[in-house]
Amino acid sequence: MIEIRGLTVAFGAVTVIDALDAVLDAPVCGLIGPNGAGKTTLVNLLSGFVQARSGEVDVGGTPLLGMNTARRVRFGLRRSFQTEQVVEDLSVWDNVQSMLDHVPHPHDQADAQVHRALEHAGLLDCAAVPGAELDLFRRRMVEVAKALVGVPRLILFDEPGAGLDERESRVLRDAIAAIPDAFDAQVLLIDHDVDLIAAICTQTLVLDFGRRLALGATRAVLDDPAVRQAYLGN
Amino acid sequence: MGHPMTPDSIQRERRAARLALLRMVLVVLAIGALVPWLANAYWIKTLTSSLALAVAAAGVALLYGQLGLVSLCQYSLLGVGGWVALRVGHGLHWPFEACVLAGGLSAGVVGMLAGLPALRLKGLYLALVTLMLAGGFQVVISATGFPDGGDGFLGRISGSERLMLPRPAIAQGEGAYFAYVAAWLAAILALLEVHRRTRAGRSWALIRRGEAVAEGAGVNVLLYQTWAFGLAGVCAGVAGALLAGAVGQLDGRAFAASESVMLFALSLIGGAYHWVGALVAGLLLRAVPSLLVDLGVNGYLAMVFFGAALLHALITAPRGLVGQWLAALQRLRAKGRP
Amino acid sequence: MPDLLPFLISGLGVGAVYALSGVGLVVLYRSSGVLNFAFGALGAVAAYVAWSALEHEWPLPLAALAAVATSVAISLAYGRLLAPRLAERETTVRSIGTLGLALVVLGFTEWFWGEQPRRLVLPTDAGAIEFADVRLTYTRVLGLAAALLMMAAVGLLLARTRIGLAMRALADQRGLSAILGIRVLQVDTAAWVISGAFAGVCGLLLANIVRLQATVLTFLVIPAFAAAIIGRLSSLPVTVAAGLAIGMLEAVAVLVPGFSPFRTATPFLIALLAIVLWRDASRKA
Repeated sequence: MIEIRGLTVAFGAVTVIDALDAVLDAPVCGLIGPNGAGKTTLVNLLSGFVQARSGEVDVGGTPLLGMNTARRVRFGLRRSFQTEQVVEDLSVWDNVQSMLDHVPHPHDQADAQVHRALEHAGLLDCAAVPGAELDLFRRRMVEVAKALVGVPRLILFDEPGAGLDERESRVLRDAIAAIPDAFDAQVLLIDHDVDLIAAICTQTLVLDFGRRLALGATRAVLDDPAVRQAYLGN
Repeated sequence: MGHPMTPDSIQRERRAARLALLRMVLVVLAIGALVPWLANAYWIKTLTSSLALAVAAAGVALLYGQLGLVSLCQYSLLGVGGWVALRVGHGLHWPFEACVLAGGLSAGVVGMLAGLPALRLKGLYLALVTLMLAGGFQVVISATGFPDGGDGFLGRISGSERLMLPRPAIAQGEGAYFAYVAAWLAAILALLEVHRRTRAGRSWALIRRGEAVAEGAGVNVLLYQTWAFGLAGVCAGVAGALLAGAVGQLDGRAFAASESVMLFALSLIGGAYHWVGALVAGLLLRAVPSLLVDLGVNGYLAMVFFGAALLHALITAPRGLVGQWLAALQRLRAKGRP
Repeated sequence: MPDLLPFLISGLGVGAVYALSGVGLVVLYRSSGVLNFAFGALGAVAAYVAWSALEHEWPLPLAALAAVATSVAISLAYGRLLAPRLAERETTVRSIGTLGLALVVLGFTEWFWGEQPRRLVLPTDAGAIEFADVRLTYTRVLGLAAALLMMAAVGLLLARTRIGLAMRALADQRGLSAILGIRVLQVDTAAWVISGAFAGVCGLLLANIVRLQATVLTFLVIPAFAAAIIGRLSSLPVTVAAGLAIGMLEAVAVLVPGFSPFRTATPFLIALLAIVLWRDASRKA
């Protein structure tokens, strides 16, 4: 569960997130909003790349903002970036293992954890393939697998399916939807694909100009006239 | 040995990596054993220097290949290692191995301290800072010289009483010392390779991909960069100690900043991504110039060639000579397959 | 307290060359993002060309012109033919390319002219003026004047002319500048020419002050890098001040007891100090 209280993020004179209050407790939460609404900034804040000017954030009851990035990773925070970040020189296995390297784990469990993550993402058959030889779909799935090692608690996906076709998106979608049950982690998903959000997110937060426009059950939020006006253009 | 369900492909890859490591060590040791039978005394000495310099080149290659860091003071760190080895060898009469380790560790520490302030800046500043250090070291070592049996901190003695650093008992002769240096080279190359294939190598690969990515994975970027710097320093220091043992003494006038520049250039030309590149670099640094002198060619023409080769390596073949050879080999193999 | 003035005056001579070199380096870096490690080598080859010309009894202005023309030509050739092949790579790699150029030029110079040390004796060495117990040859005075003139000219160029504006824009946003219509190629050419010209003049002056020997001259420029570092590779006035200060401190360092053999390490110590004290360093790009 993510509890956000009075969160403000500003860069100089520009306020990107404005006194945000939100409680996100669904297993898979969606985060949508027009471009520039502050979605990626919120993810950057949660993962420690950006500082808050004021406010508090608790994850599973633990205050988050006092921890540095590495500490948050050890705490169980995972994030993907808008552009895939697969390391070309490492194999798929090593790409996922590299996430495990810096999180405390029982030494004899390392292979088991990587195996499980790759199995969930459907990448076992290409485990030894170097990152450079992967197509976009596999790279996106590697990003998913990377988030699943080392006892994740909260996984932040930032447009994880950008550039995928319909079949690939569906595979990605199913993999993400199955995470909370399989790995006991909460997922926060940013995407512009409303169908994806509607399909797997039970709760959705809509941001507009850094403020909360709507928060609640996804269907209700998507039907909200204010949201349709601001974002969906109806 | 891994989860029983580790995919076959991964188990094969791990096995292949272990075999490659073993092969590397065996090849280097074989070179150490065979060359003394094939070469004359002059060439054994030249190739001993080449092997020692290959150790230093391996460090340069690690920094550049794994992290894209440019260090232009590695030859100076070689001087630091040689200085410490000579000082403890003459002053404390430590066994040779201890001198080499002392030289390696000192250069490693100095390398880390030197790199630390610059690692937080843009990569270009690191190149500049290391160049400054090389310039400074050149001035200092020209004035102080290397220890040769005297007392006091600098350990200098005058005139004909200059001492040579004694070699280890098992490696007194030229051929034996060549094999000895080859053993050290094999050990260092193995150490670096193990780093590359474990957590350190994966962390360096993440850093190379992008600092944000690395931090997002919980990597302490500064720590891993500093560690790489320290390793490169150890390589340089060990090389310096081995050179000191080869010749018996080192000349304070032979550590100009240009030597570090040449070491860097040739490490890149040889290839910064494969261990054979370090060997090639060592040969280019010492054996090729000797060959040219034998053939009556001016050594400075070699410098022109190396400058052009560096530009070529940067523009067209970032993986260096060895990278190109390996790529050609792979193409040949691919043609051979049905 | 020994009289510092003679040392300061004599240090000013070398310091002016460091300042001039620093400016040459920074102008190029700001415009093209390349730090020219071959700056010293270009100066060396220019000095040798001047020496050969003088040996063949050319008049001084013509010899100097030939010298500077050589360094400009090589600089321009690299900038237009080779540097673009590295344009897509990161800053460090683009600058390391100039190390290759340095090796080529240095190797050629040593091979062609031979490595025996010479002196670049200029006709203007014959006369001198006395200032505060220091004998300054006309060469040094002219050199100082030329240095000041060139630095002022560059300052004016950057501040007052269209191409200067373009150079400053390029420094900040190369890709964007191209889209905005700034003639990147034209500005690049100007930057490499200016840098080459400065290198040539510095080479002549250093060869006269120190000695005419290619390797020495190539690496004598390292203190200029120190000045450029202190100027954070962007501020020309700071680079100039730093160059002058480094030259003077290096000269005065002779007076520090026990430090004399290490005197020439002064620029490096200053540069290292500047880096260490440089807390809010420009973060990695």
